[in-house]
Amino acid sequence: MSRKPGARDWYKDAVFYEIHIKAFMDGNGDGVGDFVGLTERLDYLVELGVDCLWILPMYASPLRDDGYDIADFYAVHPAYGTLADFQKFLDAAHARDLRVITDLVVNHTSDAHPWFQASRSDPASPYADYYVWSATDRRYADARVIFVDAEKSNWTWEPGRRAYYWHRFFSHQPDLNYDNPAVSRAMLDVMRFWLDRGLDGFRCDAVPYLVEREGTSCENLPETHALLKEFRAVIDREYGGDRMLLAEANQWPEDVRPYFGDGDEFHMAFHFPLMPRLYMALRLEERRPIVDIYTHTPPIPPACQWGLFLRNHDELTLEMVTNEERAFMYYAYAQDPEMKLNLGIRRRLAPLLDNDLRRIELLNCLLLTLPGSPIIYYGDEIGMGDNVYLGDRNGVRTPMQWSSDRNAGFSTAEEGKLYLPVITDPVYGYQAVNVAAQARQPASLLATMKRLIAARRTSPGFGRGAVAFLRPRNQKILAYLRRYGRETVLIVANLSSAPQPAELDLAEFAGIRPVEILGGTVFPPIQAAPYFVSLGPHGFYWFRLERPGDADEPYGIESTAI
Amino acid sequence: MTDGTQDLALPPDVERELDGVAPCEIAVGVLTYNNATTVSAVAAVVRAGLERHFASASTVLINADAGSGDGTPDLLVAAGLPLVRVRHATPFAQRLAVPFHGVPGRGAALRLTFAVARRLGARGLVLLEADVTSAADEWLERLLRPVLEQKADLVVPVYARHRYDGTITNLVLAPLVRALFGRRLHQPLAGAGAFSARLLDRLLADPGWPASGHHQTDLWIEGTASADAFAVWEAWLGPRRAESRTRTSDLPTMVAQAVGGLFGVMSRYDDLWLEVRGSEPVPVAGVPVTPSGEPAALDVDRMVGGFRRGLRDLSALWEHILAPETLGDVLSLDTASPARFGFPDELWARVVYDFALGHHYNVVYRDHLLRSFVPLYLGRTAAFVVATRDRDVGAVESHLDAVGAAFELHKGYLVERWR
Repeated sequence: MSRKPGARDWYKDAVFYEIHIKAFMDGNGDGVGDFVGLTERLDYLVELGVDCLWILPMYASPLRDDGYDIADFYAVHPAYGTLADFQKFLDAAHARDLRVITDLVVNHTSDAHPWFQASRSDPASPYADYYVWSATDRRYADARVIFVDAEKSNWTWEPGRRAYYWHRFFSHQPDLNYDNPAVSRAMLDVMRFWLDRGLDGFRCDAVPYLVEREGTSCENLPETHALLKEFRAVIDREYGGDRMLLAEANQWPEDVRPYFGDGDEFHMAFHFPLMPRLYMALRLEERRPIVDIYTHTPPIPPACQWGLFLRNHDELTLEMVTNEERAFMYYAYAQDPEMKLNLGIRRRLAPLLDNDLRRIELLNCLLLTLPGSPIIYYGDEIGMGDNVYLGDRNGVRTPMQWSSDRNAGFSTAEEGKLYLPVITDPVYGYQAVNVAAQARQPASLLATMKRLIAARRTSPGFGRGAVAFLRPRNQKILAYLRRYGRETVLIVANLSSAPQPAELDLAEFAGIRPVEILGGTVFPPIQAAPYFVSLGPHGFYWFRLERPGDADEPYGIESTAI
Repeated sequence: MTDGTQDLALPPDVERELDGVAPCEIAVGVLTYNNATTVSAVAAVVRAGLERHFASASTVLINADAGSGDGTPDLLVAAGLPLVRVRHATPFAQRLAVPFHGVPGRGAALRLTFAVARRLGARGLVLLEADVTSAADEWLERLLRPVLEQKADLVVPVYARHRYDGTITNLVLAPLVRALFGRRLHQPLAGAGAFSARLLDRLLADPGWPASGHHQTDLWIEGTASADAFAVWEAWLGPRRAESRTRTSDLPTMVAQAVGGLFGVMSRYDDLWLEVRGSEPVPVAGVPVTPSGEPAALDVDRMVGGFRRGLRDLSALWEHILAPETLGDVLSLDTASPARFGFPDELWARVVYDFALGHHYNVVYRDHLLRSFVPLYLGRTAAFVVATRDRDVGAVESHLDAVGAAFELHKGYLVERWR
């Protein structure tokens, strides 16, 4: 294994990139992406400027839920390669200063997992209590059904055991029983196995559901937090404190907040409610949804960080919106019923925004500058499209479009052998949208993404700074300050499709000449009076506000430099 | 040149000072400028050092003053040593912003001091700094003994320092001097030193003595001594603490003066270094002292921030100075995480060489060029701290040796482009 030392809180400055192994690059020509292929494409990711790769489940699995149904925590799915391939990939990533985290499903396993096979068939087996069994399906009645389109109950009858087993997701994904201490010990051993290989952390799937208690929603229970704190303590103790845990807890911010604990539970958690509100603000052309959700976002411990995203491998979830907001979102972004799934919209970023480059860039601007670490879903950096007719969430999991070559340069396999067909429609098809073409165009989305990511690196304020929203009279203008130490960055964004003026109260910065970060242009000095800027349709500015005396602060080497 | 005394024309006021002063074996030079608070202690160290280590030798104290207004020369009189006081030209600009070595017109002061020493027939001259409060009597012995007894011609001090003191010296001057002159000096601008009569004669006879007002004299002396195969030594002294109200501590000014001084020497005296290949350590007096590893209040984030600001504000200027490949590599340095910031030695050598070339060919106004070097220096310093702060002192030494080796290895890059 090879790991580079670095800051323990590296994730606070990092830009993450979410990858489906099967979708990124096929290295052996069998039509399915693999670790060999991903390793070949690492330099692309370095050029893009991302810092950490988040690998979706790559474990042995029947793939009935795209790998979130793990049948062997200790093995790589054969279609994706071998453990040795994974190790080579990990070492190659580290050699490029890229970190890697992988998904880890801690809540449940596949029903094909040997633990469940033993548990379902033999009540005397050592694994008998690894899952939640019941003689009745009426326990935990207050727990909601999450996959409402596919499941009617959280209980499924198992004839072999003559009992019901508990599952918060699909019925082929039985929940593990964390009231059995052997289960948490077994899960820690799984974590050690991968961390020993040098992995930089885990994105922990479905963490609110680990423990069940009667009379509760069976979500976010104190027992679940205690268990997660135990995981964290062991990992910190055994791995030096720079391995990262990212929580998937699709909850309101105040319910997610406990997952940070006192800085002793998760390092990061997704900010789920922000994402739909970004789209809502864009469609309404007003800042209120974004500012409101931050008003309701509690502070988190200093070492913790929100994970921000525009899109991911799942549907654009609308669980964290009101019914009215959900109706609006369906109206605005999913007029075709095929686009709806569960309580969400199964579309990629570019199609959601009608392939409007300015709106795509604007949302990415917000992704990269709002408080948190941005997570880019593979292909969204080139504006890949989707195929809602592929079923479930497969429409947003199609092969990466590398070039206009056969199979989008993703695979040399026969077209019919691909795990999913490449996108071929005239607007988003691989011949129109691909990495090779955009790499040659200075104004392409890919080039813009590289510039934005590089610009984000110029100030730690983007990853670490406190946020303060300005309140210009024009509601179509979203403006906020990010302050970190001596650095202050001002972001001004026009949510409207028409040019807009903005008057910003920047009196506290009077005398400063704002420097526009992306172009390096020095703007007129700020006065006590409101600062006036005008923005084009969906335009945005990133300003650095640097006080004249800032450069006079000591470095600590002056007095003895010669 | 005569048998021990140099027939040098000296200013009339100096001639008057020399009236009645007997020849001496040892000359002690002290260059001053408003050092009233510290110079008496220096005089006391001189007296003690001479009494303890060179009691039988005749000695004269030479004070070259840059126009002190605080009575500094009078305090030296009170020290009770045979004294020659001389006054030298002090460029107005240097009096407004006193250079890092604390003495305006240091080149002229050195020349005058050297000339007086040789007029008095001194076999050796030891030079001390007037604002250094940590001097000890054994410093005289360690500096001078190699000259008087072991045929050393130039003895350069090495002070016991913190591992992160002297970053301009450690990361720019020392590696460049090593590559240029082929001598591995730890602290080429140490301020103090000792000189043999032979070397003083050689220097005084040189028509190319750097003009007054430049910061090049010390480096030119080291280059000349190395090129002409004089015996260059180092003497390990104790810690150096200076107490001065006049020295500049403005980082860009220090970088411009120190690095600009060396670039100036490179341009004006390229015969001293163009043909030199390889390098060698120099003989040592005293026992090498391990750099201190005490915790230091260094702001790496701010240094990397300074580098970032350079990337942001100075790229357009750097396009004129750095070779395209060098600029590309600099722009590619990853500044996202200061705690992981790195700056490869080979790239650093190319950066410094490109700046030397830019200075030589005057591609942009030289003051702008030198000041635009500061963010790069901050970046390289940050990388040095990042790479070594969790490691032992041996690793620090190894790191700095690797920097020097990189400069040496890539000297061809400089030479090819110089001609």
